[in-house]
Amino acid sequence: MHRFTTLAVAASLALGPATSVLAQEIYAPNLAYRTGPFASTGIPLMDGQADYMTLLNDRDGGIGGVTVDFEECETGYSTEKGVECYERTKSDAIVTQPWSTGITLQVLPQTNTDQIPILAPGYGFSPMQDGRVFQWAFNPPASYWEGHSMIAQAISDGDLDNLAGKKIAFLHLDHPFGKEPIPLWEAMAAEHGFELLPIPVGIPQMQNQSAQWLQIRRERPDFVVMQGWGAMNATALQEAAKTRYPMDQFVGIWWAGHDADLKLLGEEGTGYRSISWSIPQPDAPIMADLQQYVIGAGKSQAEDVNSVFYQRGLVISMILAEAIRTAQEIHGVAEIDGPMLRDGLANLNITDERLAELGMTGMVAPFATACNNHTGSAGAWMLRWDGEKFVQDSDLLQGDADLIAPLVEAAAAKYAEDNAPWPVDETCDPQS
Amino acid sequence: MELLRNIFVTPFVDMVAAPDFLMQVVWEGLVSGVLYALIALGFVLIFRSSRIFNFAQGIMVVFAALTLVGLHEMGIPAWIAVAGTLGVMFALAWTVERVVLRPLVGQPDIILFMATIGITLFLIGFGETIFGGENKQMITAELGIPTGDFVLEPFGGLLILQHIDVTAVVVAGLLVVGLVAFLNYTRMGRAVRALGDDHQAALSVGISLQTIWVLVWFIAGVIALVTGIAWGSRAGVSFALEIIAYKALPVLMLGGLESITGAIVGGLLIGVLEKLFEIYWGAPLLGGNTESWFAFVLALTVLLFRPQGLFGEKIIERV
Repeated sequence: MHRFTTLAVAASLALGPATSVLAQEIYAPNLAYRTGPFASTGIPLMDGQADYMTLLNDRDGGIGGVTVDFEECETGYSTEKGVECYERTKSDAIVTQPWSTGITLQVLPQTNTDQIPILAPGYGFSPMQDGRVFQWAFNPPASYWEGHSMIAQAISDGDLDNLAGKKIAFLHLDHPFGKEPIPLWEAMAAEHGFELLPIPVGIPQMQNQSAQWLQIRRERPDFVVMQGWGAMNATALQEAAKTRYPMDQFVGIWWAGHDADLKLLGEEGTGYRSISWSIPQPDAPIMADLQQYVIGAGKSQAEDVNSVFYQRGLVISMILAEAIRTAQEIHGVAEIDGPMLRDGLANLNITDERLAELGMTGMVAPFATACNNHTGSAGAWMLRWDGEKFVQDSDLLQGDADLIAPLVEAAAAKYAEDNAPWPVDETCDPQS
Repeated sequence: MELLRNIFVTPFVDMVAAPDFLMQVVWEGLVSGVLYALIALGFVLIFRSSRIFNFAQGIMVVFAALTLVGLHEMGIPAWIAVAGTLGVMFALAWTVERVVLRPLVGQPDIILFMATIGITLFLIGFGETIFGGENKQMITAELGIPTGDFVLEPFGGLLILQHIDVTAVVVAGLLVVGLVAFLNYTRMGRAVRALGDDHQAALSVGISLQTIWVLVWFIAGVIALVTGIAWGSRAGVSFALEIIAYKALPVLMLGGLESITGAIVGGLLIGVLEKLFEIYWGAPLLGGNTESWFAFVLALTVLLFRPQGLFGEKIIERV
C-alpha cells in the first residue's frame, strides 16, 4: 500500500507541470441557436463568433498565450433549453452568452451568486447599462433603448418634435425581447406628442402576419418600426411589400437587418432601413487573416462572410476577446476566471487605434465601458437596402442619453426593489 | 357601457363603413384557412386509416418544402425537383411503415403517437443537417406560379388578391376534389376507408395493412409538399413553418379527427373567424395577438357541446 501511495504521489508530481500546461485554456461557452424557427438569424452570427475565436487560437495561440474553448450549447432560442445550457456550462465557464433576452432575464439573478458575467452585445435588458445594479451583466456596444432612440431621430430628421401628431406602429415579437423597447417609445410618445401603436406578433404567427399587416393597412401609420427576430423579419418584409407599405417608412433594429431576409425580396425591399452598431468591411485586414487561417483552412461553416450578421458576429467575439485581454492585464494572470473577466468587461476601451491594430477599423464605433456604464454607448449607423445589399445611410448616430439615463436608473432601481435583497455596488461612483 | 358598445356595435359599424377592407380580411382568412385545412387533411388521412395521430405532419411540410428547394439548388430543374421530392416522400412513407410502424402493430395508440414524435425529432435533426436552418426562398417563379396581384376596387375601395394566394386556393381545391374522388371511386381508396371503418374486418377480406399505410403516409407527404409550396411562397421556407402546422390541431378538434369534410370546413372557419376576431375585436380591445389562442378557445367551445367535433363520428362503446 505504501509503495502504491509513493508511486501515485511520484506520478502526480511528474504529471503536475504537464497537466497545468494542458489546462492553459479558457472556457467561454456560447448558448447558440443554429436550429429551430430563429436559426436564420442565429447561424451567421454564430459563424462569425466562432470564426473569430478560431482565428485567435490558430494565428495567435489564443489570448495572452491561453487558448479559448468556444464550445456551443444549442438552445434553439428556447428559454428553457438556454437555462439548461447555463446550468450545464457554469461550473467551468468564465462567461455566459445567453443570446436571448428571455434567457438573459432568467439567468440574471443567478449570475450574482454564480459570479459569472453575462455578455449580451446589443441585446438583453437595456437597464443592464446601470452597472451599479447589474454588476454581472454587460450589453456593449449599444442597448435596444439607444437603438430605438436613434431610429426615432432618423425618422424625425433629427428633431423628435417633427413626429408630433404622427402615428408610429411598433411591430414586435410577443416575447420579452420584442416588448423590451416599449417603455422608451411610450416615454418618447408622451414627450413629443405622437401616437404609438404597438402591434404584437406571436411566435406561432411569425410566418403568418396577414392580420398584423391588415391592421397596419387600416391604421395607416406614418412609420412602422420593427423589433423582430428570426423568421418574423422576412415575413414582415414580404407582407410590407404585399400590402404596398412604403419601404422607406419601414425601419428595423439591428437583428431586423439580415442580408438573407432582404435577398428574398430583392428590388421590392429597396429603401428599407435598419439601425446597426456594426458595418461590414469586406476589405478590412482581419478578413484577409480569416481567409488565410480559418476559411481557407476549411474551418469555417460560413456562407457569406461579407454579410452584416457574420461580421457582427466577428465584432461580438472581438468584444469578448478584448475583455479577456483587459482582465489578464488587470490581474496579471493568463488563466482568468469569471470575476476577473467582469473587471475586463467593465474596463473595456476599444479605441480607433485598437480597432486598427485588430484590423477591424470601421466595423464598430469606438467605445469604453465603466463600472457605472456596462453598455459603452458606441452609437450606430442607419443602413439602407439598395435592392442588392445594405449600404450606409447615415453618419454615426447616438441615443438620447438625457432621455435614456433616467429611464435606465428608474428601471434598474425597480428591478433591484422587485428582487430584494439585490446587491448594489456602492463603491462605483454613478457619475464617474 | 363603452365596453359593450366596443364589443357589440363598433366592430359592425367598421365593417359597414369599409366593406372593401372587410372583404380583404375575409380573403386573407380564407387563404390561411385553406392552408390550415390542407395540413389537417394530412392528419385526418393517417388517423382514418390507422388510428395514429401523426405528430410529424407539421415537420413533413417543412421537410417536403426544403427537399424541393434543396434539390433545385443542386441544379435540378424545378418540375424534376418536384418529382424527386415526391420520390423522397414515398421513400419516407415506406421507411416509416417498415422501420417504425410495422414493429409496433397491435401496440396501444399512445405508443404509436409517441413514435410519431420520434419521427418528428428525427426529421428536424436530419433536415437541419442536410439543408441547414436558414430561411430559403421557395422556387415560385421556377414552378410557373404567378407572382403578381389582382387589384380590385369594390365599393370604391381596394382589394388586393395575390396571384400566389389565388393559386394556392385553386390547387388546394383541386387536391381535395382529387382526394375525395380517390377515396370514393378507386379500389385503393375504398381500402383506405375500409381500414378506417374496421381494421379487423378489412384485414379479413385481404386488404394489406402495410400497403395502405405506405399509401396514406405518401398521400400525407404529397399534401405536405403542396402546403409547403403554398406557404413557402408567402413567407419563405424555414423550420418556423412547423409551428404554423400546429394550428391544424384546433381545426381537428373543431372538425373531428376522422372527417375530411370536417378538416376543410374547420380550417376555413378557423382561418376566417380568427382573422375577423383579431382585426375587429382582438387588436382594438385586447392588444392584439389573439390568433395565438382564438382557434383553441373556439374549438374547446365546440367540444363542450359536440365532444366528437362538428363532423366527427360519435363513438358508442358498450361495456
